[in-house]
Amino acid sequence: MRSHLDAELRETEEYLAQMADLVTGALAQAGEALLTTDLDLAQAVIGSDSRLDMMQREVEERCLSLLLLQQPVATDLRVVLSSLRISMTLERMGDLAAHLATVARSRFPAPAIPEAARGVVAGMIEAAVHVSEQVRELLRSRDLDLAAMIERDDDVLDNLRDELYQIVLDSTWAGSAQNTMDITLTGRYLERFGDHGVSISRRIEFLVTGDIYSGESSVTLAGDEVR
Amino acid sequence: MNIIETKDLNLHYGEFQALKNINLDVSANEITALIGPSGCGKSTYLRTLNRMNDLVHGVKIDGSVRYRGEDIYAKDVDVTVLRKRIGMVFQKPNPFPMSIYDNVAYGPKLHQKMSRSAMNDLVEQSLRKAALWDEAKDRLKKSAMSLSGGQQQRLCIARALSVSPDVLLMDEPTSALDPASTAKIEELMGQLKQEYSVVIVTHNMQQAARISDRTAFFLTGDLVESGPTADVFSRPQDQRTENYITGRFG
Repeated sequence: MRSHLDAELRETEEYLAQMADLVTGALAQAGEALLTTDLDLAQAVIGSDSRLDMMQREVEERCLSLLLLQQPVATDLRVVLSSLRISMTLERMGDLAAHLATVARSRFPAPAIPEAARGVVAGMIEAAVHVSEQVRELLRSRDLDLAAMIERDDDVLDNLRDELYQIVLDSTWAGSAQNTMDITLTGRYLERFGDHGVSISRRIEFLVTGDIYSGESSVTLAGDEVR
Repeated sequence: MNIIETKDLNLHYGEFQALKNINLDVSANEITALIGPSGCGKSTYLRTLNRMNDLVHGVKIDGSVRYRGEDIYAKDVDVTVLRKRIGMVFQKPNPFPMSIYDNVAYGPKLHQKMSRSAMNDLVEQSLRKAALWDEAKDRLKKSAMSLSGGQQQRLCIARALSVSPDVLLMDEPTSALDPASTAKIEELMGQLKQEYSVVIVTHNMQQAARISDRTAFFLTGDLVESGPTADVFSRPQDQRTENYITGRFG
């Protein structure tokens, strides 16, 4: 029984790591499609999103089965609960990569991001890919220092998003309404992508420590505040 | 509030040390679950709380067990009175070979004289508290042996309650029962803790997780860890606890 549970947990964790690989690849490709106006790449990202949806459902079914049949406790329970949430978050991150690709595809053959905003958008894409790579590493290592670093690095994305919005809010902005929408949505998608990375880092903190993040403090399952 | 406080408790059966320096408190109006593999000392510990181990030949106990601040191992303690206040329910239902009514009335009759109507009331109250009244009220004069296993166990709980205890010790009270009877006893325990403090030994970890407020994990005579049940089952502090509750040994 125990060896079966161990095998199931390992497979679920491996599934999440594979999802993170796909998300990282999808975001990098979507960013490239956006900056280089590459229609084929954008199509490929949009087309591959269904695979992440399928994997998310697979993780959900595995976790449901483990809860029903194995009634896990302690670390085992935290792995199952965290896997459920993390798989949903990774699936959302995949959606955001697909949204970016959709922006790129919608404006083809024109570039979706005007020259004035390309530098900041490129910076956001780089920062978001970095978050995604860190998440991928975190899922394998469960390193709490890395989890804390992801939270800090998310600030880079928030600041770049503010910088991006400032471009379209500036009185000298001469872009079209469509440009304004595309830039705003792109900034929003990438900033949310980073937020999801932070969400996963908190899930890993819970998995390792048992502390549930709730705003400024954490609580245990027994309801005690721990910091 | 702690109703029982155990400090530096050691228990030897001859040369064998069954409990090692146990420090554990039992909170009032809570269910405390004692878990651990066979031979870990959990039942031995339970039996020290109302001095059931006194009956075992060659037992030696040191350290202190205080019930409401009083040392229960002090020389002047009346063990019969102690066991009236700290009652016990055993693994196997053990009704006396007499009627349902007499099973419940047996204890009170030993301790005090009561009128027939007062005794009737006490029997009814005890059976009600043990969630057996509705099933037994029309057959009070029938033999307790005619009850099902689950009903017999509830009768034993009613018998323990009839002498107005403060604490109920339960040694695997549902291990001989089917799931439906187990569910009834578990539900009953949830009600009993409103009035009593309950300490239960159980091999069933799901049961400990379902019903108890605090859980203590014993291993080879040591108290490895104790704390709020949600904490012990979600983030045990000791690796041995984690290994046991996740089925890696035991």
